[in-house]
Amino acid sequence: MIHALRLLARMYRVQIHSQLQYPLSFIMDLLSSALILGFFFVAFALTLTRFESIGGWTLGEVAFIWGITEFSFGTMDMVFSGFDYDSFGPIIRKGQFDQLLLRPANITLQVLGSRFVIRRLGRMAEGLLIFLFGLSRIQLDWSLLKILYVPLLSISQILFFGSLFIIGATTTFWTMERLEILNIFTYGGAEVMSYPMHIFPRPIRMIFTYLVPSIFLSYFPAVYLLGKPDPLNAPAFVSFLAPVIAMLMLWLALRFWRFGIRNYQSSGS
Amino acid sequence: MSPFLATIRTSFRRQLTYRAANISGLLTNLMFAFFRASVLIALFNEREAVNGLTVQGAVTYAGLTQTLIGYLSFFHWFDMMQTVYDGQIGADLLRPLNFFTYWLGIDIGRAFGALLIRSLPLFLVFALFYNITLPGSFLQWLAFILSIFFALLISFSWRFMVNLAAFWTPNALGIGRFVFGMSWTFSGFFLPLALFPRWLAQFARLTPFGAGVYIPIEIFLGLITGKELLQGILIQVFWIILLLLLDQWILSRGVRKLVIQGG
Repeated sequence: MIHALRLLARMYRVQIHSQLQYPLSFIMDLLSSALILGFFFVAFALTLTRFESIGGWTLGEVAFIWGITEFSFGTMDMVFSGFDYDSFGPIIRKGQFDQLLLRPANITLQVLGSRFVIRRLGRMAEGLLIFLFGLSRIQLDWSLLKILYVPLLSISQILFFGSLFIIGATTTFWTMERLEILNIFTYGGAEVMSYPMHIFPRPIRMIFTYLVPSIFLSYFPAVYLLGKPDPLNAPAFVSFLAPVIAMLMLWLALRFWRFGIRNYQSSGS
Repeated sequence: MSPFLATIRTSFRRQLTYRAANISGLLTNLMFAFFRASVLIALFNEREAVNGLTVQGAVTYAGLTQTLIGYLSFFHWFDMMQTVYDGQIGADLLRPLNFFTYWLGIDIGRAFGALLIRSLPLFLVFALFYNITLPGSFLQWLAFILSIFFALLISFSWRFMVNLAAFWTPNALGIGRFVFGMSWTFSGFFLPLALFPRWLAQFARLTPFGAGVYIPIEIFLGLITGKELLQGILIQVFWIILLLLLDQWILSRGVRKLVIQGG
């Protein structure tokens, strides 16, 4: 375990070192992701002020859940980018995965450490700012449980999104190239999770409840944290399922990943 | 057949062969169109119209932007840049047609291919799920078709210019990501510009990005007609001419400087 962590730390160090080689380009990358994604929110905020509320939620309330989701996705995209199916596909196609398999270290660890994208700090900062903006605009009825649940929710989201990336990477063992369709659940899922999810029509909600259980990691916890009425009339305990669902997803994703590796056949090139 | 037309045809066919990628892209864009449409419907919440934009118009807007993504490919294109880095450009510069024209042909073929098997089916399926606004007259259709062709020319000459950065720096990818991101923000791809404060919307549609994405949609939805429509087309023509001239100028300077790598 300690050996594994040391190895991971070492791989990260190399990554960070190489990514800081072009400081100007690094700063531009950092700023661009923060500004562009930030503009998404500003555009939405400007639009919302025209309409006052969306599904009964004010701008501050939407910012609260939008910020948490954004922060978690940014963090995940930094830590789990080794499993980013956009970059993992070419690794499989070019046969580079075979090299990893030959090395005397845990394969999951190697993939995890193979990419650590520090420019995602931009997205994390942007998410944090939106979250703080949200907090400044709402009167929250804080309790100890709520204070503890916010960071736990964020960690759950990180693991949840990470699981989706692992599943995405695993599919490339068979497809050899990235499947754009997975973006529906990763990037699209994160977008849907940024809004009060009861506004979506039933079929979309069903997809994000039963197929990919995103709703347990944003809408239900937010209903509890913000003290909002729930037009979906779900039982109160579903607000607390986020960590359970996240662990379950991670377990499933890792099982699928191992299954994929067992059945992996090199592209041979 | 002229080399230009042959390039278009080859590229068009190549685009059609990526069947799985096209279907996968289509479904993704369609789902995003549903997400955005749902958000807009929730925002309007019983309201009839805002700034001349009706709910139905806003929903159509969500479908149209997602339809145009594959065709315009406005914000993600590093193909030309790649050839500078891997040395393929050496052979491309020797082709029997101008380097810019060659890539223009490639892009027109790609765009028409995407239009046929990705964009059109997407919009048709989207129209099955929602009541949408369609152009009311033959002339309006004609103006729309003209303006999405102009939009492609703007999109291409803009992307070509961004890629030209590779002639000067080994890290044009970072610049590209930055600039493409910035252009995305002013295009109205995310939410209809009509819902923004007036000054911001007016500014955005004067940029090449607004001109490339938003003006065709305004024409389609009938938000601009008559003199305003003509003005919109003129803004597009202005950007095409300006970007084409800039491309030629930067390219001619870049080629003189270029050091071909690899081989």
